Amino acid sequence: MGFLLHIGYGHFLALSAVLFLIGVGGVLLRRNALIILMSVELMLNAANITLVTFARMWGGAGAMSAHTFALIVIGVAAAEASAGLAIVVAVFRGRRSVEVDKLTVLRH
Amino acid sequence: MTRILVILVGLGLGLALALGGVAAAQPAQPMPRAPGLPIPIQPQRVQPPAFAKPGAAAPQRETTVNPHGDTVESSGPGMALLFWLFAFVAVGGALFVVTRKNLIAAVMGMVGGFLGIAAIYMMLYANFLAVLQMLVYAGAIMVLFVFVIMILNRPEDEPVAPTGRAGAVFGSIAILYLIGRLVMMLIHVTPPDERVAMEAPAAIQLPATTADEPGESVGWGSVKAVGNDLFGPGLFPFEAISILLLVAVVGAIAIARPLKDDQQVADQEPAGEAH
Repeated sequence: MGFLLHIGYGHFLALSAVLFLIGVGGVLLRRNALIILMSVELMLNAANITLVTFARMWGGAGAMSAHTFALIVIGVAAAEASAGLAIVVAVFRGRRSVEVDKLTVLRH
Repeated sequence: MTRILVILVGLGLGLALALGGVAAAQPAQPMPRAPGLPIPIQPQRVQPPAFAKPGAAAPQRETTVNPHGDTVESSGPGMALLFWLFAFVAVGGALFVVTRKNLIAAVMGMVGGFLGIAAIYMMLYANFLAVLQMLVYAGAIMVLFVFVIMILNRPEDEPVAPTGRAGAVFGSIAILYLIGRLVMMLIHVTPPDERVAMEAPAAIQLPATTADEPGESVGWGSVKAVGNDLFGPGLFPFEAISILLLVAVVGAIAIARPLKDDQQVADQEPAGEAH
């Protein structure tokens, strides 16, 4: 049980993998568009944890580029949330529901 | 009432444990190395890189890389306690998001999960990112989500898509096996350079601005270090992300603006429901 006491970089990577898989599960299983958006945010965060972990693992002066990249991922997540929520509001205005299973207009 | 009391006592116990862990994780002396790591911690001395102009002589002054002298490692028992605490907060928040039927409860779980992730950033010495995580996610994005949920205010009938019993059992077993394999594989990842990775991170040497003095030495992951990279090599992504945010704002307004037809539909709807 040594892995309980000695925290290495693998622990952070494993945590990010678990968070990413929970996000994937949310996107696959849930029907509500808002929950799906939140799960996407969760996956972006898991990717950020991986970036920061590898920056700490390799060290060096160039490691700050990983922090910059994580910052840019946060910006992309904010843009995605605003556009996605606008789409959700527009869809809800038209058909009084945000369940993605009922959005089948383009099927036919 | 008793339940609230129990939760408060539990929170206090957890906080006391965490504080004890922090006290144990910061030794006055450098911690004894693990058997596999015989290299003692030495403050590395490097020559400052010669960013000087071609005509000027390169500066010969030596600077210490780790001026703060903190040797907190990520292997002490206190660090382990903090890691497991915040990892459970993050994973619990994430599970809350995926499983809750009530949308507001899901958002609150997400705030908790993001706070846990910010603490994880802090354990990786990404101080600036941790603060930004709390400001942007737990602040701005969550407020946006709560606003939209308040506007919609429609409870879900059936949150999870139905599948057959056999498919659910097989799928959950497969997913658990996948998670177990992935975690067991990742947990044994070893850093390429143990000495760099296990010590407190070295300070960042900024490029020299003038010829006769070396660049400033700033803390790893501090605002100055990240900003120096953001406005140096990362300038183009920074400008691109600002244009992307502008496009997203304009697009959100264009998409969510009520159209003329919608307004007529909304006006006619109460009359339609009346009879």
